[in-house]
Amino acid sequence: MRQAKIWGSAALFFLVTTILCGVVYTAVCTGVAQLFFPYQANGSIIEVDGTKYGSELVGQEFHDQNHMWGRLTNANVSTFTDDEGNPVMWYGPSSLSPASDDFAATVQARIDEIHAAHPEKGDEPIPSDLVTNSGSGFDPHISPAAAEYQVERLAKNTGKTPSEIRAIIEQCTEQPQFGILGDARVNVLKVNLMLDGILQ
Amino acid sequence: MDELLEYGIYLALLVALAIPLSGYINKVMAGERVAVLSRVLVPVENVVYRCIRVDRADVMGWKRYLISALVFSALSLAGLFAILMLQGVLPGNPEGLPGLTWDLAFNTAASFVTNTNWQAYSGESALSYFSQAIGLTVQNFVTPAVGMAVLFALFRGLVSEGGPGLGNFFVDATRAVLFVLIPLALVVTVVDVWQGSPQNVSEYQEVQLLEPVGIDSEGEVVEADDPAAVQVIDEGVVPMGPQASQVAIKQLGTNGGGYNGVNSASALENPTPLTNLVQCISLLLIPFALVFSFGRFVADRRQGRAIFAAMFIVLVASLAVIAFFEQVGTPQLAADGSVYMGTYDQSGGNMEGKEARFGVTDSSLWAAFTTAASNGSVNSMHDSYTPIGGMVPIILMGLGEIIGGGIGCGLYGMIGFVILTVFIAGLMVGRTPEYLGKKIGPREMRMATILCITTPMVLLIGAAVMCLDPATVDSLNNSGAHGFSEVLYAATSAGGNNGSAFAGFNGNTPMINVVLGFEMLANRFIPLAATLVLAGSLCTRPKVAVSAGTLSTSNAMFVFLLILIVLLVGALSMFPALALGPIAEQLHMVL
Repeated sequence: MRQAKIWGSAALFFLVTTILCGVVYTAVCTGVAQLFFPYQANGSIIEVDGTKYGSELVGQEFHDQNHMWGRLTNANVSTFTDDEGNPVMWYGPSSLSPASDDFAATVQARIDEIHAAHPEKGDEPIPSDLVTNSGSGFDPHISPAAAEYQVERLAKNTGKTPSEIRAIIEQCTEQPQFGILGDARVNVLKVNLMLDGILQ
Repeated sequence: MDELLEYGIYLALLVALAIPLSGYINKVMAGERVAVLSRVLVPVENVVYRCIRVDRADVMGWKRYLISALVFSALSLAGLFAILMLQGVLPGNPEGLPGLTWDLAFNTAASFVTNTNWQAYSGESALSYFSQAIGLTVQNFVTPAVGMAVLFALFRGLVSEGGPGLGNFFVDATRAVLFVLIPLALVVTVVDVWQGSPQNVSEYQEVQLLEPVGIDSEGEVVEADDPAAVQVIDEGVVPMGPQASQVAIKQLGTNGGGYNGVNSASALENPTPLTNLVQCISLLLIPFALVFSFGRFVADRRQGRAIFAAMFIVLVASLAVIAFFEQVGTPQLAADGSVYMGTYDQSGGNMEGKEARFGVTDSSLWAAFTTAASNGSVNSMHDSYTPIGGMVPIILMGLGEIIGGGIGCGLYGMIGFVILTVFIAGLMVGRTPEYLGKKIGPREMRMATILCITTPMVLLIGAAVMCLDPATVDSLNNSGAHGFSEVLYAATSAGGNNGSAFAGFNGNTPMINVVLGFEMLANRFIPLAATLVLAGSLCTRPKVAVSAGTLSTSNAMFVFLLILIVLLVGALSMFPALALGPIAEQLHMVL
């Protein structure tokens, strides 16, 4: 008899917590978020004249000479599709051991690609975040050192002066929070939208 | 210097918040009223008891307490398994995702019901909003509550002298959810959303790519104007959904199951260094608070402080090792000086698998915290850590998740080691061992031993079974010693109820899903049962008076002994396996 009562209470407890922690909690959070922080709660989407160019928080892959390059990524076109069933772009990390030969080969390939595009830099060491994949595979940022490394190439290929490029980078740079938390970082998508004249 | 200051801020803030929270938790678990919250929550609490037909004054002995915890967990397992299998026909599924396979559904249900949150799937591409919010988030709340309830049953057993029993399981779990977990989760959710985390029920957003790419007939990505391109991709995707609310409780409840596959490395889950701080502290906040709660509960705060000191010393030592090796990096990355590894205007060091906004500092902190707590969320890819930087998390998990550990289970696991230490010290001085005035008899020793060796046994058996199957090789992302490390990490993560991964490892095969599923269940419920047997046995023992010959369990000597025993048991069980994985890789790298 007592056993049966425990089974009953346990089953009811599962139902009650499902309503309380699953439905009510999630609904309250969503309501508060949509009311007070609608831009963030809906994905921090950068929208200009009705076109959505991406999320501030999701990096994209850039290889063009007139764009700033970001972190390495593993492009993935097999996970998601749009409403018409066409594949859309998504990204993933490498999960390679940094002590492996495979990793050494990807780093060397990236170094060669960067050297070819930046002849003016000669043998100057390349910032480490520019030759590595990130944790998410869609890191939206690079370090200020990695941005500075690309300034002359960007100036040459966009017709802007190096100081104009630096001003754009400056505008898209976030300092460590409260002066101490995390690292300074440059939002690559925002820089490129400004280089293209889409974002002011 | 800035780096050292940041490490200091994380550690100091963690302790500064855990101490006041410990007093609050004790009040709440004793059923006392607390300011403001009681006015709102007590009526809700009363409705819950009425709905589930529980009388709050009904005190349970260890058997009934244990049966309640097991029955509730079994029903949760069945309920979650059903939700995951039936996902395709349930509501809240705007992306139209199908149900999971039986083995993945079993693995995932076992994972979330055991507070492990090992994930053999990628949330954003495999689970509907219903499965995430109604299925997983609920377990993220109730599993830490079960852990906390069982821990308080043990506390009551330790102080009572043949008293009325261990409390009521349903009352304890309800109070933990309502008064501790929900309020804290609401605060963390608001900070996360404010900083940028999505919280909605909309469809995923499709966005225009600035640089479209092509794919060739093999599905490989090529330049958009490449003649081999058969299709041009000009859209990217931004996953949406109720992310912030689930992320908040995944951190606070020592769960760790990310909304997205890459967990808190995703800027959608963890957008800024501030959210990193808040989430990282959340990993260990309640586990550490419970240690101080223990001291208050047994009316001798030094007992809590001694256990805290042992945990904190191991945590800081682990953090120091990880941070050092990650900042140094590897020769493969330095590429004979072609890559700048220093810290001017960048984090520098081993940035593979790390985010630019966090760098080595915030990533190392997280790696240490998440494996000390049995949380298992990540903000960087542990698979891409240096050999030694990646070995430390394996050790922290393999010790049995007792450096903070899971909510409830971390501390009751550690109390197992405390009893073992008391016993060994007692043998050395030739006295009957006792702890907090209770004599430790054969029954208590048997239960303490089970608490100490379940994790190493479960994880070594799991790793061995996976290694015996030749197909496991196909799951590896790296070769050589690091490939073995991937298997060992998976077995240790499931065996320690942690849930983090060397994420290159593909755990989604029927064989591995089942092995890891059983590992997680064994390591959750065997120690849980042992703890309640221990509580029931201690509860009947009378207190003996403290004399001059009583071994102090709160001085520096005891803290030292406790750390020694923990490391000794860990080293004896883990060293041979570690020698084949990370240690071999490190030697290969430097020699």
